[in-house]
Amino acid sequence: MFSPYFKIFRREFTYMWRDKGLRYVLILIPLLSVLLFGLTYRAQVLTDIPTGVADLDNTIQSRELIQELEHAQNLEVMAHYPDYESLRRGIEKGEVVVGMVIPEQYGKKVGARQHADVSMIIDGSNMIYGINSSTAVMLITRTISGESGVKALLAKGININDAIDAFLAIDFREDSRFNPTINYAYFLVLGLILNIWQQCCTLLAAMTVIGETGKASWKQFKLSTISRFGLFASKSVAHIIIFMAVASAIYGLCFSILGLPLHCSFSLLLLFTLGFSISLHSIGTMISSFARNASDASRMSMVIAVPAFVLSGFTWPLEAMPVPLAAIVKWLPQTGFFQGVIALTMKDAGWSFVSHYFLQFIFIAVVCYGLTAVIHSVVER
Amino acid sequence: MNTEAKKAVVQARNLVQKSGKQPVINDIDLDLFQGECLGVFGLRGSGKTTLLHALAGIERCKSGSIDILGYRAGKSEKYKRKLGLVTQERSLFQDLNVAENLDFLASIKQASQPKIEEMIERFQLQPYLKDPVNNLDVGVYQRLALACALLNEPQVLIVDEMIRDINLDSRLIILKEMESFVTAGNSCICGFSNMEYVHYMDRVAWLDEGKIQIYSPEAAAARWNELVAQMPKKRGDIHV
Repeated sequence: MFSPYFKIFRREFTYMWRDKGLRYVLILIPLLSVLLFGLTYRAQVLTDIPTGVADLDNTIQSRELIQELEHAQNLEVMAHYPDYESLRRGIEKGEVVVGMVIPEQYGKKVGARQHADVSMIIDGSNMIYGINSSTAVMLITRTISGESGVKALLAKGININDAIDAFLAIDFREDSRFNPTINYAYFLVLGLILNIWQQCCTLLAAMTVIGETGKASWKQFKLSTISRFGLFASKSVAHIIIFMAVASAIYGLCFSILGLPLHCSFSLLLLFTLGFSISLHSIGTMISSFARNASDASRMSMVIAVPAFVLSGFTWPLEAMPVPLAAIVKWLPQTGFFQGVIALTMKDAGWSFVSHYFLQFIFIAVVCYGLTAVIHSVVER
Repeated sequence: MNTEAKKAVVQARNLVQKSGKQPVINDIDLDLFQGECLGVFGLRGSGKTTLLHALAGIERCKSGSIDILGYRAGKSEKYKRKLGLVTQERSLFQDLNVAENLDFLASIKQASQPKIEEMIERFQLQPYLKDPVNNLDVGVYQRLALACALLNEPQVLIVDEMIRDINLDSRLIILKEMESFVTAGNSCICGFSNMEYVHYMDRVAWLDEGKIQIYSPEAAAARWNELVAQMPKKRGDIHV
């Protein structure tokens, strides 16, 4: 005969599989998010940024400049406007994101090797477009400006090599590590999917205690002599196995199908995720111990799980947050987890980098499970 | 039955339970003797379920003490191994089917596999084994609930409104099993609100306004008949 604790452990899987809502939340939603975010960021790099041009000069030189713009990797010239105002309205209406205004007399000034102003307008309302547009525009302007300068020096009779040296006297070489192409998928997709996963896991964890004590069948447990510790430990082990199974499936799909980078060892990543799963479960379980009912527990768990991702430093660095807030969010397991996952998968940061996060997970788990035991015994009384 | 000669298996003393500030059970003393079936009679809201849950040790009282099978409830859990409970509300595991409930409850009550098979046969549950418990007819559900309560071979059985509104076949099976349970020297406390079943009890604890009075089944029936007989007069008083 199997021990009652094994039966409780096994029943947890049956229960979750039979409950359609839980099945969707735990398995379908995280796996769907792989598909959803994988498709969303399939381009990986933002290209063909809609660009508009207002050529007020209409000379060979201005047309050459437009050609340079058309050859730019990330920009796509989609519209030509007769004047600055129409271009501005085009940006306002969302027809284009980047606009270039070539002023009158541009060709003449360039021909005469005089200073010429070219206005670049960037729609900053969409941050992703804004940053990518700025980078693309900066690259072009730097190149064109350099070429123009070299031409000016050549016109003054300076040797071509000397002219190039004069403009490239200081050669800033960029060595962008870990994600040299600024690939959005590498940075965002895994984080977004794991965010969905951790929210779903928190929801389940929040049912650990109230999922039993809130039902009439709790009387059957109260009438038995099995220990509460054994009961909730059996349920918790089942939950954590489910968390890890879903996380493993997510990792498998992300690294093999979506081609996201995995520079660390898979076992280290899984061990780190296990530490996080335990601490996440402990928080959910603690919420579950003092919630009045299941929906109360769900609401409270979401109050923690939803903002935790935003506050984790994944989308905005902790160093740029107000100091008291950063000090608080450092104690959320999500903070360590998202920092650690990025460091492991993209930089192969190694155990030494994530070990303190891991210890933090264990500490949180000990505190939260301990508090759960205290709260549960008080509530039971 | 002669209660003097019998050994008390449940002894409740000075039990007080309150709902907010309102006493539900007010300083109750109650004994259950070995081999007897004690009926706890009370109308809806009389505190019957509260009293039965307190006696089963699953609800704590504000004050008072309960000794079950020689153990003090709240201080020891050992009595639970020899206690069975059928609640008024459906307290089996709704996510499991009939067979799974029997198996799961046998496991947490540390009962054996042959005991499960015996219960299936005695309560004629074979056709329903794969059925989810929330789809069961009231009678079959109560048969299953009693089968589950008897899995650990209890010496004390507490049942709350078990044979109300159930079909005759199920009623027959349940009453037969209850009778053989008590005949075997075990004890039972039955919460009931329909005087029709009073003759199955050895004694009746009549619960009213938080207090109990002990009656023989005949005396309890006579008191009930008297109350019922007074109803037209009371109704007339109201109309006048």
